[in-house]
Amino acid sequence: MEFLSHLFSSGTLSQFLVGLSRTTILFIVSSGLSLILGILRIPNVAHGSLYMVGAFLAYSVIHLFGGGVAAFVAALVIAPLGVAALGFVLERGFFSHLYEREHLMLLLLTFSFALIIGDLVKIVWGTEYRSVTLPVVLQGSAEILGLPLPYYNLVLLLVGPVIAVFLWLVINRTKMGKIARAAAVDREMVSAVGINVGWVFAFTFVLGCFLAGLGGALIAPMTNISLGMDHSLIIEAFLIVIMGGLGNVWGALLGSLVFGLTQSLGILVWPKFGIVFPYLAVVAVLVFRPRGLLSSTW
Amino acid sequence: MLRVESVVMSFGGFKAVNGANLHVGAGEIVAVIGPNGAGKTTLFNLITGHLAPDSGRILFKGREIGGLSPHVICRKGITRSFQVVNIFSQLTVFENVQIAVLSRERKTYDIFSKVEGMAAEEVERTLRSVGLHDKRNVESVLLSHGDQKVLEIAVALSGKPELLILDEPTAGMAPEETETCIRLIRKLSDEFGLTILFCEHDMGLVFDIAQRVMVMVRGGTVVQGSCEEVRRNTEVQDAYLGGSA
Amino acid sequence: MKHRSLVATLAVLGLLCALPPFLPRFYVYIASIVLLTGLLATSLNLAIGYGGLYQFHHTVFYGVGAYGTALMLTRAGAPAPVAMIAGPLAAALLSLVMGVICVRLSKLYFGMLQISLGSLVWVTVYRWYSFTGGDDGIHGVPLPDLIASAKGSYYYTLAVTALSLLAMRRIAGSPFGKTLQGIRDNPVRSEAIGVDVKRHKLAALVIAGFFGGVAGSLFVVVDTSAFPDMMFWTYSLEVLIMCLLGGMYTFWGPFVGSSTLVLLRVFVSVYTQYWGLILGTILSLVIIFLPDGMLGFFARRFRKGEVRGA
Repeated sequence: MEFLSHLFSSGTLSQFLVGLSRTTILFIVSSGLSLILGILRIPNVAHGSLYMVGAFLAYSVIHLFGGGVAAFVAALVIAPLGVAALGFVLERGFFSHLYEREHLMLLLLTFSFALIIGDLVKIVWGTEYRSVTLPVVLQGSAEILGLPLPYYNLVLLLVGPVIAVFLWLVINRTKMGKIARAAAVDREMVSAVGINVGWVFAFTFVLGCFLAGLGGALIAPMTNISLGMDHSLIIEAFLIVIMGGLGNVWGALLGSLVFGLTQSLGILVWPKFGIVFPYLAVVAVLVFRPRGLLSSTW
Repeated sequence: MLRVESVVMSFGGFKAVNGANLHVGAGEIVAVIGPNGAGKTTLFNLITGHLAPDSGRILFKGREIGGLSPHVICRKGITRSFQVVNIFSQLTVFENVQIAVLSRERKTYDIFSKVEGMAAEEVERTLRSVGLHDKRNVESVLLSHGDQKVLEIAVALSGKPELLILDEPTAGMAPEETETCIRLIRKLSDEFGLTILFCEHDMGLVFDIAQRVMVMVRGGTVVQGSCEEVRRNTEVQDAYLGGSA
Repeated sequence: MKHRSLVATLAVLGLLCALPPFLPRFYVYIASIVLLTGLLATSLNLAIGYGGLYQFHHTVFYGVGAYGTALMLTRAGAPAPVAMIAGPLAAALLSLVMGVICVRLSKLYFGMLQISLGSLVWVTVYRWYSFTGGDDGIHGVPLPDLIASAKGSYYYTLAVTALSLLAMRRIAGSPFGKTLQGIRDNPVRSEAIGVDVKRHKLAALVIAGFFGGVAGSLFVVVDTSAFPDMMFWTYSLEVLIMCLLGGMYTFWGPFVGSSTLVLLRVFVSVYTQYWGLILGTILSLVIIFLPDGMLGFFARRFRKGEVRGA
């Protein structure tokens, strides 16, 4: 009983909500990875690096504008756009010529990009930890059902659904999205009817990179921005995408929720091994549904 | 030897095989004919375990084999060729046949012997009898289409099957290659007393080598009988030969 | 031809035996690392090069082999020979369990499921402070005097690596190895001639996992430590790169590739801290400018090359 009351005490519950708000970031990043994997068939290991670049860019923008709400908002816009621009260069320069390659080759190619980007970040920003302080308006906590929840986490909890709806609209309501979905199923057919698949793919890749950058910018105030943050994220994002169903954006949403929830709950139940639970959840799902929770585009 | 009894198999809502019946006796050469999409290849895939039937029975030497894995069915004595060439394209002609022999002799888990030269005598004999001996060290992807089809038959043959299934053995072959292939099939049947089940679009070839014919239309068996019976059957003429033959 | 390869092998072995007296201690250590990393890459190649299995998380077996040996020596206080074999056996057992789960899938799905399972093993080792030492790992593993010195561990590593490579070469050139190549080439055809594809794949995975574990136990001898980073996913990718650069369809390619990368890294690190930039550039150039991919390039080599004649 004592255990249960501990579980439902207000402190742990708000801790749980904070954990949940972090899954928003997991969702944003892994949905980008999922788009690229599902439509372009690239297992993009460099996705984590782009997320890291997003975080460092956000740091630089905020410092350039001298802090405050305006600087923070500017960072949330400029950092993802910067990462998207980088993605555009990568897509046009390299991937657009290499779509037909074997997955193993693409995996290793993106890994080599991850190595390169990692060192470029080291050259530009150095090896020290960087941190971003929230603008004053966003410091402090709101009361939700009598529980204290930091404003920023509240913002994150709201951003998640907004991004989900945005992606749904892009994929289902725009011409670009419809073509991309068709191309994911049958690339040759789509180009045979005279649609320039190249630009659709470029758009998809850039959108995916934008999401990686956005995730990085959003995590910036909550963590130490450092080299190596790409490594820990990319494996989680991959696991989420695998668990959700390769290429399925809703799978990425579901996967993030499962991953984030099992982690938050795990830490409540067994603090020392909390981090193990999401991995266990992924394996449990895949043992029974080896192709993921939702249908894959593959 | 082989008995297929009212087998049904559907893909989604489409019944690719719908109540097919087939009987192949020991030592017979039986042809399955029918228009495109009649379910001939699906039927073969059911017999060799690449698909599992929804209902009905497939008996080989009196034992039910429907739904078993391909490698288990192969061990029971059925080997096959596929409609689209299916060989180890990155291995040499020799190695293609060698693996089949090793598999038959259950030596594929052997990690201690040197594979080089193993079963060489039998492999060379087989290659000589199908006429590929002088190409034994050629990587099989480099062979002509006709030679690849022959190689596939040699591979299937090396499993020492009791029943050999050939899915359109001469598809895509040049006329002289077809000629060679027919001679090969005849020779196999004469020399080894092999039971052969095949499907083919070339009617000349079918009536040339088959002893009995089974006609399939829309997944079902229309008629089974000798070549003469089938040729005379009006239903077949309507459904398949367009009434003109 | 036979004689020449035997002479070449003996010459290389002789050279490697004669090396330590002429090298500073640090380079003897590096030479040991080169050998065991070569063993690791070759073991991966058995699965991915010969079997066509997308073994995306091979270093899990390397790590488990190392932890198996290290834990036996520290916690269980087992005699060294027992510990040396316990690590690889643990790796083989894990490989069997993971294989049973993964082997029904193919290609990318196989690789992805393996990454998931491997990451679970990694995160467990990473967090289990009371048993594995968590992210600190295990350091100062006690070794018998004979193999405790840099030279002693070098000769031990050389002997075990040579024997393991010999065994793997034998396996690669056996009927099993040939069947494995057949499965990589055409699983449908393999089944149709009576080969139980799944069980052969499983056997290949267990063998690859075992030798990966051998490499791990050697690392404990050379470095007297084991730590979770050995089995982090990105290290698996690095070992894949070693195989790729050296040539996956040849037996010795991965060994050459891994030696090159390990040595290059040591020498480049003297001059710059941007090893990733250099490695990434080399790798991407190789992948982009060999239009067939290295796979195709080496496939052609392979046909005329040594594996063919084996």
